[in-house]
Amino acid sequence: MNIKTLEQIIKNKSSKVEFAIVTNLQNGESQVFEPGKKLSGDFDKFQKEVENFFKSKKNGIIENSDIFVETYIRPIKVIIIGAVHIAQYLVDFAKSLNFEISVIDPRGYFATSQRFPDLKIINKWPDEAFKEIETNENTALIALTHDPKIDDPALQHALNKKFYYIGALGSKKTHENRCQRLKEAGFTDKQINSIHGPIGIKLGGKSAPEIALSIIAQLVSATYNKK
Amino acid sequence: MRNSFDEKILDEALDWIKTNQKVVLATVIQTWGSSPRQVGSRMIVNENGDFSGSVSGGCVETAVVRECIDLIKENKPCKKIEFKVSNESAWEVGLACGGEIAVYLEQVN
Repeated sequence: MNIKTLEQIIKNKSSKVEFAIVTNLQNGESQVFEPGKKLSGDFDKFQKEVENFFKSKKNGIIENSDIFVETYIRPIKVIIIGAVHIAQYLVDFAKSLNFEISVIDPRGYFATSQRFPDLKIINKWPDEAFKEIETNENTALIALTHDPKIDDPALQHALNKKFYYIGALGSKKTHENRCQRLKEAGFTDKQINSIHGPIGIKLGGKSAPEIALSIIAQLVSATYNKK
Repeated sequence: MRNSFDEKILDEALDWIKTNQKVVLATVIQTWGSSPRQVGSRMIVNENGDFSGSVSGGCVETAVVRECIDLIKENKPCKKIEFKVSNESAWEVGLACGGEIAVYLEQVN
């Protein structure tokens, strides 16, 4: 691989531009593919196959060829409501997984850059904050404040936008009350039951990093079951 | 997980090059059966045999490092190597899991 190609890859990675690395295994030459752009030189006859690999987010060798394709797809968006202690550990765990985290918290003393270095924190109420973030069926929500004023609007947004994973922190009692409020707000039982509450898989731990681990484990599992 | 934008192995490769080290990228390009790491998994190796990342669960890394050092010594651009199931009675490199992998080595320059 050429150093210039490596530099291009790192640039794309840091600016979160989706791409693929296409390598000719015979001679070691490689090129960066971006959707909508044409491959040049000897690679141009594999344009269609590379696009197919890219669409199906696959890595591998194109059949009957010596061309290896490796795709880099944008990470899944995960929105955390509440810049609380558990969120700090979630951010740490998510670093080595393909998740892009945003934290929303209207409470200024929680949402500080000192507590969350290198992270996008939106210091607004959820209704305002969601105007800044594009969300869809590929988005996940983790509600951690267990304050209805903050969590509920976010949960409603996530249900309306059909997020693939919605989890809310709180005891069974807290969750029952939450379900009742959502019911009164007009959500169906099916929608309400799709919320993971109390959040996380059962590990038995009660400390902040243990709860964060149980949440991230449930999120990874939901991500693999999504398709 | 798929290749992550946060994965630092290629960034590390560039850091090594900037400090005048020779770097070989080793990438899993094919797998058969139950292999420990998926296609696209990477490690980097320098001329001293220092390495980062992984292409298996520790089963074949030593052999990969050796091959990478040879690639640098012989100044070859690239090479493909395959690892098969290990024979427990022989003292050889292989995959105890019963899978097979192909690893592609390439120099960055």
